[in-house]
Amino acid sequence: MSWRYRFTLFFFLFLFGLVISRLFYWQVVRADELSALGQAQYDKQITLTAQRGEIKTSDGYAIAANKLAYLVFANPKEIKEKDKEAEALEPLLSEKSATISALLNLDKFWVPLKPHIDNTLKVQIEAKNLPGIGFQEQTLRFYPEASTAANLLGFVGKDDNGNDKGYFGLEGYYDRQLKGKDGLAIITNDARGKPILANMNDSTEKVDGRDLTLHIDRRIQFMLDQELKQGVQSYGAVRGTAAVMDPKTGGILAMSSYPSYDPSNYQQYSDSLYSNPFITFAYEPGSTFKPLIMAGALDAGLLQPDTRCTICAGPVEIDGYDIRTWNNEYDANSTMTDVIVHSDNTGMVFTGRLLGLDRMLAYLDKFGIGSATGIDLQGEVYPSLRDKSEWHEIDQATATFGQGLTVSPMQMLTAFSAIANGGKRMEPHVVDKVETADGNTITIPPKVLDQPISPETSKVITEMMVKAVDEGEAKFAKTPGYRIAGKTGTAQIPVEGHYDANKTIASFIGFAPADNPQFLMMVVIDRPTSSIYGAETAAPVFFKAAKNILSYYGIPPTEPVTDGK
Amino acid sequence: MKKPYLLLTCLFVVLVILSVVRITLVNSISTTGKELVDLEAKINTLKKQNALLQEQYLQAASYTNISLKAKTMGFAQAKSQLNMAAPLPLALR
Repeated sequence: MSWRYRFTLFFFLFLFGLVISRLFYWQVVRADELSALGQAQYDKQITLTAQRGEIKTSDGYAIAANKLAYLVFANPKEIKEKDKEAEALEPLLSEKSATISALLNLDKFWVPLKPHIDNTLKVQIEAKNLPGIGFQEQTLRFYPEASTAANLLGFVGKDDNGNDKGYFGLEGYYDRQLKGKDGLAIITNDARGKPILANMNDSTEKVDGRDLTLHIDRRIQFMLDQELKQGVQSYGAVRGTAAVMDPKTGGILAMSSYPSYDPSNYQQYSDSLYSNPFITFAYEPGSTFKPLIMAGALDAGLLQPDTRCTICAGPVEIDGYDIRTWNNEYDANSTMTDVIVHSDNTGMVFTGRLLGLDRMLAYLDKFGIGSATGIDLQGEVYPSLRDKSEWHEIDQATATFGQGLTVSPMQMLTAFSAIANGGKRMEPHVVDKVETADGNTITIPPKVLDQPISPETSKVITEMMVKAVDEGEAKFAKTPGYRIAGKTGTAQIPVEGHYDANKTIASFIGFAPADNPQFLMMVVIDRPTSSIYGAETAAPVFFKAAKNILSYYGIPPTEPVTDGK
Repeated sequence: MKKPYLLLTCLFVVLVILSVVRITLVNSISTTGKELVDLEAKINTLKKQNALLQEQYLQAASYTNISLKAKTMGFAQAKSQLNMAAPLPLALR
């Protein structure tokens, strides 16, 4: 073999060795790193955003839905006549052309111009054929009834990571159910960067959020909103709140507050409007509390409706304090029915003395006073009762007529559901059904929380409340033709250790028809100025709304209607 | 001696049939990718139209909107109502 042949052989072997070693370097030593680099070039990871569930009223109307919106963006590198384009966009984006021009002059490839524009505006902008302008799809939470039931619904804002998150009300309480679960997909692109459909592997399915169907009746909600708004404005009150419940199931048929806010534009309103006063407002209930104490005493067999009060001839003195009636008028022969009808504080002190502290606290506990009602809304505040050792004689005396202790309107409504429902206290619920993305429906069954009083006692106290409506201070406002059970309340507000005589919480709670209650309603008016009394403020709002509800339900009057009303 | 020939012939025929079926199937689904893209685009368009229509429906059917329109059309809330509650003054039989 000649040396030329050997030289050529070893030369090629050397070259071959070089290629092998280089290949080893790429294929083995840097394999993982290069593989990841390559994957990043042809694989794209995309998040499949789950659709947030809708919130529907009992008639299937989506009171909270999702809306298609667009983010307008620009690629300044593609825009040559920036000032001219800014002027063209000015009327469409409702922004000053100087502001738009400043954005278009940025040395960037992507500049957001305006978020959340609707489809109509998008079409108008597209029609202008402006170069470098594009649109990115967005989903917006949409509340078609605007501020209706806003405090009940809550709103959707952003969390720390910029993701959608429900706050307050149903959006907050049911956030995990409503938001669903985002999916993840890896798309492999070809050499031209176009997705290869067959390679959409390694994806996790998105699960859309669940829809909620509420007990809320849209018509009752609308009527209550209207009456409450009118009431708060007419009586010059700071605010008002009201709710309607089906006492047989605990289903909340309507819940309203005024002033309210538009959850679609919640940022434009004060934070103080976000919470729902019906579940967060702690106040002294005043005389609306009396039927609960009276029901306890009746249920314990300590008195009858015709039992006469033995201390009602004048003010009652306890621990140096004089307990007086609201109008300083006294009737030595008052029966227990009279005590409720005329809202007699001294008669309630008599009742409280018969009942005793232990039994009174036991009944209040059974009525749910001092504990959470369990309503499915975010942010419930439930004032608790003070410890038994901290009750003095004067505390028990004032508690019998609803002063010196605090409750929330929701606690009151739940407690009265026992009176309206044959003694059974129901758990309040806003949501009736939850519908999963795959079409299954989960119905939330009514739940009896307790039975504080017997069915017989509930009938007796109902009759006393019917008489309170027919003959009490609010009789002028009563809906004619119907037997309605109810009670007014005018509670003074404690300010720096004493009660302010001119600032009150006026309220009315009642149910109708008294013999077969279809709804239980409570109206609370905070610091009315035209009159401080519940009978002259909250009661008219209650009866106007009750009239509408009775008419809507098609319930005929059971008593003769006079005066053409 | 005839049986193996018969068996082989049958196997050959089956092989030919399966090959034809496979070729036909492959041909028929070879354009599915494009069809899928078209279908997905159509689904997206329909979904968008649905979303827009639902938005329009919800806005039009909201009581807030109906109430405003009723006011502009001159409707007012009924202040009184007629109840036919009393029993009918007629014998049922």
